Amino acid sequence: MTLRATITLLAITLAFLGTAFPVLAHAGDGYGGGFITGFTHPILGWDHVAAMVAVGLLGAFLGAPSIWILPVVFPLVMALGAVVGILGIPVPAVETGIALSAVVLGLMIAFALKPPIWVSAAIVGAFAVFHGYAHGTELPATVNAFAYAVGFVIATGMLHLIGIAFGILVKWPAGRVAVRGAGGLISLAGVAFLTGMA
Amino acid sequence: MPKTWGLAGCLVVAGAGPVMAHSPVPGIEGFYVGLLHPFSTPSQAVLMIGLGLLVGAFDVVKVRWLLGSFLVASTAGLIAGFGTAEIDATMFAAAFVACAFAALLPGKTALAALGVVAFGGLLIGAASIPDDGPMRDRMFTMSGSLVGANVGLLYLFGINHWIRELYTWAWVPIAFRVAAAWVGAIALVMLALSFAEIAPQG
Repeated sequence: MTLRATITLLAITLAFLGTAFPVLAHAGDGYGGGFITGFTHPILGWDHVAAMVAVGLLGAFLGAPSIWILPVVFPLVMALGAVVGILGIPVPAVETGIALSAVVLGLMIAFALKPPIWVSAAIVGAFAVFHGYAHGTELPATVNAFAYAVGFVIATGMLHLIGIAFGILVKWPAGRVAVRGAGGLISLAGVAFLTGMA
Repeated sequence: MPKTWGLAGCLVVAGAGPVMAHSPVPGIEGFYVGLLHPFSTPSQAVLMIGLGLLVGAFDVVKVRWLLGSFLVASTAGLIAGFGTAEIDATMFAAAFVACAFAALLPGKTALAALGVVAFGGLLIGAASIPDDGPMRDRMFTMSGSLVGANVGLLYLFGINHWIRELYTWAWVPIAFRVAAAWVGAIALVMLALSFAEIAPQG
């Protein structure tokens, strides 16, 4: 593409952006609204993001079979947590549990702890209950529940994948430092969530 | 030459009249409606996908038994027929079990998988009973449902198997396990929601 064509294209784009009207066509209900609400629920909560990415990072850090066992265990147990939340069964200290998940998982990565696979699966599964509970109790009554469930499960899985993709850097010495550093940052963020600083 | 073909094409399109060729067989529309029925509600769609993920992890020799059991069970379910609404929760539960097997024990416990697939087939068949109407129309719709469910499962297995054969990377089976866990999680949440409607609130 020539410079002239690029400038023309840029000018047209800017003209469109400058004259755009607010879009009033999208309703926040039905299948679309349900999916978007569910999809953004884990993404817009930084405590969820930190913990989900940490699960993927930890899986990649521990290597096979943890790299697939943890992302399989998490959504299945998270759904159990959502079930508990939807049925209205009280679970104490949900927000504390979510914040603690970031602290504990982050520390495990930062200190390069490699517990047996069943221990890491149990830790991840225990924290998944709190995350699922939060998703279940915050399900809005006005949206399509099926689309909401699809949205929050896919978003959770994609956050795991981001963690796994970053965690694959452990193959290289510098990458190992970066991954452990990321674990440290996640645990610090968890402390901030825990103390109410963030 | 291309211009000539283009002009001829334009003339054909411009001269097109209303199409009178559809529905050569009266009532065939019901068959087409039935074809899509096994994927028409969340419970059925999730169950079909769960069964597809479960069946797709087995080798071809065992799959013919699984598909055969699904055919027999879906036919039996169609004859027994209870209606979709009554068995929604059961379908979500069966979908969760199928996905749990696909995620945690893929390609193993063939006998248990046979039971899960047969039970799933029974539910899909039972959910495919159309509303009251002329028997001929109902037969068309039920035939479509039977074909749709069985061909649908065959396609789900085929796509699964084709991807596994085409891409032999180590992470492909892992991706299927993770997908099964996701679908299982969705099924479990929907199962809870179906009970939450009758649970005491507040």
